Amino acid sequence: MSLLELKGISKIYGDLKALDNINLSVDNGEWVAIMGPSGSGKSTMMNIIGCMDKPSLGEVLLDGVDISKESAKNLTEIRRDKIGLIFQQFHLVNYLTAVENVMVAQYYHSLPDEKEALEALDRVGLLERAKHLPSQLSGGEQQRVCIARALINHPEIILADEPTGNLDEANENIVLDLFKQLHEEHTTLIVVTHDPEVAEVAQRTITLDHGRIKSDKINEMFGKS
Amino acid sequence: MTKRKMFFRMITASLVRRRSRMLVALLAIAVGATILSGLVTIYIDVPRQMGAEFRNYGANMIFMAASNDAVFDMDAVDKGIDVIGSGKIVGVAPYRYETVRIHEQPIVAAGTDLSQVMTTSPYWMIDGEWADSDEQFMVGRNIAESLNLHVGDLVNVMGPTEEDSEDQLNFGLDMKLTGIVETGGKEEDYIYMSMTDLETLVGEGELDVAELSVSATGDELAGYIDKIGSEVPDITPRLVKRVTQSESTVLGKLQALVFLVTVVVLVLTMICVATTMTAVVTERRKEIGLRKALGASDSSIIKEFMGEGLLLGGAGGILGSVLGFLFAQYVSVRVFASSIRFQPLLLPVTILVSVLITGLACAVPIRNATSIDPALVLKGE
Repeated sequence: MSLLELKGISKIYGDLKALDNINLSVDNGEWVAIMGPSGSGKSTMMNIIGCMDKPSLGEVLLDGVDISKESAKNLTEIRRDKIGLIFQQFHLVNYLTAVENVMVAQYYHSLPDEKEALEALDRVGLLERAKHLPSQLSGGEQQRVCIARALINHPEIILADEPTGNLDEANENIVLDLFKQLHEEHTTLIVVTHDPEVAEVAQRTITLDHGRIKSDKINEMFGKS
Repeated sequence: MTKRKMFFRMITASLVRRRSRMLVALLAIAVGATILSGLVTIYIDVPRQMGAEFRNYGANMIFMAASNDAVFDMDAVDKGIDVIGSGKIVGVAPYRYETVRIHEQPIVAAGTDLSQVMTTSPYWMIDGEWADSDEQFMVGRNIAESLNLHVGDLVNVMGPTEEDSEDQLNFGLDMKLTGIVETGGKEEDYIYMSMTDLETLVGEGELDVAELSVSATGDELAGYIDKIGSEVPDITPRLVKRVTQSESTVLGKLQALVFLVTVVVLVLTMICVATTMTAVVTERRKEIGLRKALGASDSSIIKEFMGEGLLLGGAGGILGSVLGFLFAQYVSVRVFASSIRFQPLLLPVTILVSVLITGLACAVPIRNATSIDPALVLKGE
């Protein structure tokens, strides 16, 4: 059964169709890369899947529930309970330590648990940097904190918007290795990227162009490298 | 960890680790609280301070005999003083007026307690010195000129003749003139001596009037008048309206001015804090967007930012209360040359007002913060 299903999704701004009749389904545990040039509709699609925007037309079924008509308040609750977000710019709260940044996600979701937050940081290899502020961390370390934060509430889907866009090659590999581990644990991953190398390691690559799906390919090399 | 613990951990981290930013907001609140606390302290203490100043203009209450049958002596005066409370009394000068003779000229002599006259009539100018013991006396400028008396003269002062009084012998005292009284008023037409000397000259008798200098506002004085009138039947108390009305008018205007300045400062503080908080919220749009993206509800955002604001308000209020007292103390010492009284109730009131003002000032920018779209902010648009 599909975890996520987009049925005839369009997003229209005046005369511009940012998304034009998108049909897509993502299975539970699947790792999907979304590619496309600037203005192709990647971010709009991410915002809709991430419950930060609503489509003009069509249905978005998440876990069998249509979220396209939900109120902003309900969308916030769905995002909090089911979705983990990873951003290109990391977006950590700059006056909170790494562990506190992870605990913020717990705070809005349920109850903060420092031990669990430290375990999440340990998983991304940052236990020793847990008490550091974001300004004391490298870009790669900040992104790993962001991943730990996204994972802490055990979301059904991880949405990553250009997660390696601001990283050097070494840190990019660390992040991609983490994604591989998550995939092996049957976490559903949707990753927006410009980078073909990042797309290649995903299970499936969807290419957008002018708001439409240009191609939807299964990566034959997936799992072999 | 409980949600409440995390809430306080986040807002204290925001205040402590962003101290350079928050210091500006804290200073804005503290300056407002300082001026507020200082001005209110002065506002409350002004009647006391000005009351002491006004006492330089002389007595503000007099006691007279209630009727011809009434016994008006020092015992009756003391009963009146008991009603007022000795803590409020600056000075009490009893007066008894009798006719004596100097160089065979009839003169009105006032028997009194000259050490008390110094406090009830501090505006008297004395050429020479105050008489401070028996067989010393002072004369008014007009008397001194008409009788050609000079400071240091030994003057024979005579009581009434047998013709004047059938009961009295013709006593006389050789008294030393220590000072000449200058007031520009009717006081220059009398001579002044101790009550003992007057009794020696003319025998015992009742008082004619007692002048009191009382440290109290016009309303308080009016209250004392009513109370003494009903509780001490031998006395008719009266206000010296010339003095009390001037006091009330000046005090009223001064308090109105301080009140007006306080209100203006409150409004300015609110504008300043609101501006600062708007800037704080604006520069944290991304953080608000991030929190919303992580699932924060509008009420959570309001609670967190309001929590920060109120904590700042409280801290600014505490700081302002302390600085406000120091400010009021400085003003009091410079203007009134006396230290101010600490008003304990003003501490919680200042903190509460600071918290309320900060809360009000934060309300609009924080309400606006909830309308931030997380998708736009996180894209950097």
